[in-house]
Amino acid sequence: MSTLASQRIESVAEFLVHALELEHESAERYRQLAETMTLHHNHTVAAVFRLLADMSAAHASEVSARAEGIRLPEIAPWDFKWACPGSPEVDCDDFDVSYLMTPLQAFELALFNEIRGRDFYAFVATDSPQPQVRALAAEMAAEENEHVELVATWVERERLVATRIPEDLDPPNLQG
Amino acid sequence: MDTAIVTPTLRAKDYKSEVAPVWCPGCGHFAVLSAVTKALAHLKLPKERVAMISGIGCSSRLPAYVDAYGFHGIHGRALPLASGLKAARPDLTVIVAGGDGDGFSIGGNHFLHACRRNMDLTYIVMDNEVYGMTKGQASPTTQPDWAKSKLTPHGTGMRPFLPTAIALAAGASFIARGFAGDPNGLTKLLVEAIEHPGFAFLQVLSPCQTFRPEQKEWKHLVHPSDMAPTDDPVEAARFIQADDGMALGLFYVRRLPVWQPQHQPTATPADLEREFVL
Repeated sequence: MSTLASQRIESVAEFLVHALELEHESAERYRQLAETMTLHHNHTVAAVFRLLADMSAAHASEVSARAEGIRLPEIAPWDFKWACPGSPEVDCDDFDVSYLMTPLQAFELALFNEIRGRDFYAFVATDSPQPQVRALAAEMAAEENEHVELVATWVERERLVATRIPEDLDPPNLQG
Repeated sequence: MDTAIVTPTLRAKDYKSEVAPVWCPGCGHFAVLSAVTKALAHLKLPKERVAMISGIGCSSRLPAYVDAYGFHGIHGRALPLASGLKAARPDLTVIVAGGDGDGFSIGGNHFLHACRRNMDLTYIVMDNEVYGMTKGQASPTTQPDWAKSKLTPHGTGMRPFLPTAIALAAGASFIARGFAGDPNGLTKLLVEAIEHPGFAFLQVLSPCQTFRPEQKEWKHLVHPSDMAPTDDPVEAARFIQADDGMALGLFYVRRLPVWQPQHQPTATPADLEREFVL
């Protein structure tokens, strides 16, 4: 069984609904992480997540523009053809998210997610029985690959900065 | 003249309020919030027809984050508040949210009677086996050997409360378990719970990243229930007693009479208020 999509996507409209959901969920999650990091006074990482949220929102707008004039089907949340429990850029990761996370960790999380997004589009580009869907998915996979490369440069830049997880001055009150 | 209210199609995001959650990054409750908003969007419920009621605890902050009517009540009293609201306003979709401490300890007695009363409520318990808001004490669902709290340095030594078994014994007509790590599966269960006519109990395994970091392993331990939903309480009891606590899905669903007050009020709120005037 594929690890990228659990069933085949068979129409452009169905594909666009998946793409919209993927980008909206991604933007929403980064926005939420930015808000949470702000509340926990991790302002540097909050700024990183805000940047990523804006990027995903811009992608969502681009997909919306492509969907202009196309009647999109309603898909129940549990009927999306993801292989993960949810959207590839949100629910595939196994990363620890913490209020102490560093910009490097935030960018690494983003890189992982962007790769999952690109791989989803690339998979549909080879897997869909519809040529139109394959062509559109290939185009979007190429665009997503540009994002992967961009985020990868950010990861590399952050790796050059000496990073360490700071000591928690108010740690969880646990034993052992 | 057509007076029907036309509600524009809302996305899940539209059901989120402007209030930013104060939960720890990585908390399972974010996924529950997401599932609630997705369920409301899927059911196309107008915001003014939904009320979220809660008690006290991290999870009980949920109503603040949903753009619908809400009431952040007192500890353990979410179910009585919700029952009163549903009795007065049966037209509302009333969703109750809270945690394992609020629901099974402080509010444990209310849980039993809400199950047997079978009002048309949806009760989501975000179970992380710890009191998180007070910085990590054992709750009713904590395993007996969890010794990380300074209040119980040798563990509680007590068998944990079994929410699904208690719900079944007390007469709940819908019993299910979801997982925060499966937000779309959770959304489906939530939609079914809201659509169920009667008291729908949904236990959600929602990891606490801060005080129970070992719960990150839950994603490797959960598994789909190997039993199809049953309306037979005996079959459900057998399944639940043998359950490892990690099975996900709808276990038991049965149509039972839904309780709702049958008689007209004998006094108006103004009459009652007069009795309290000093």
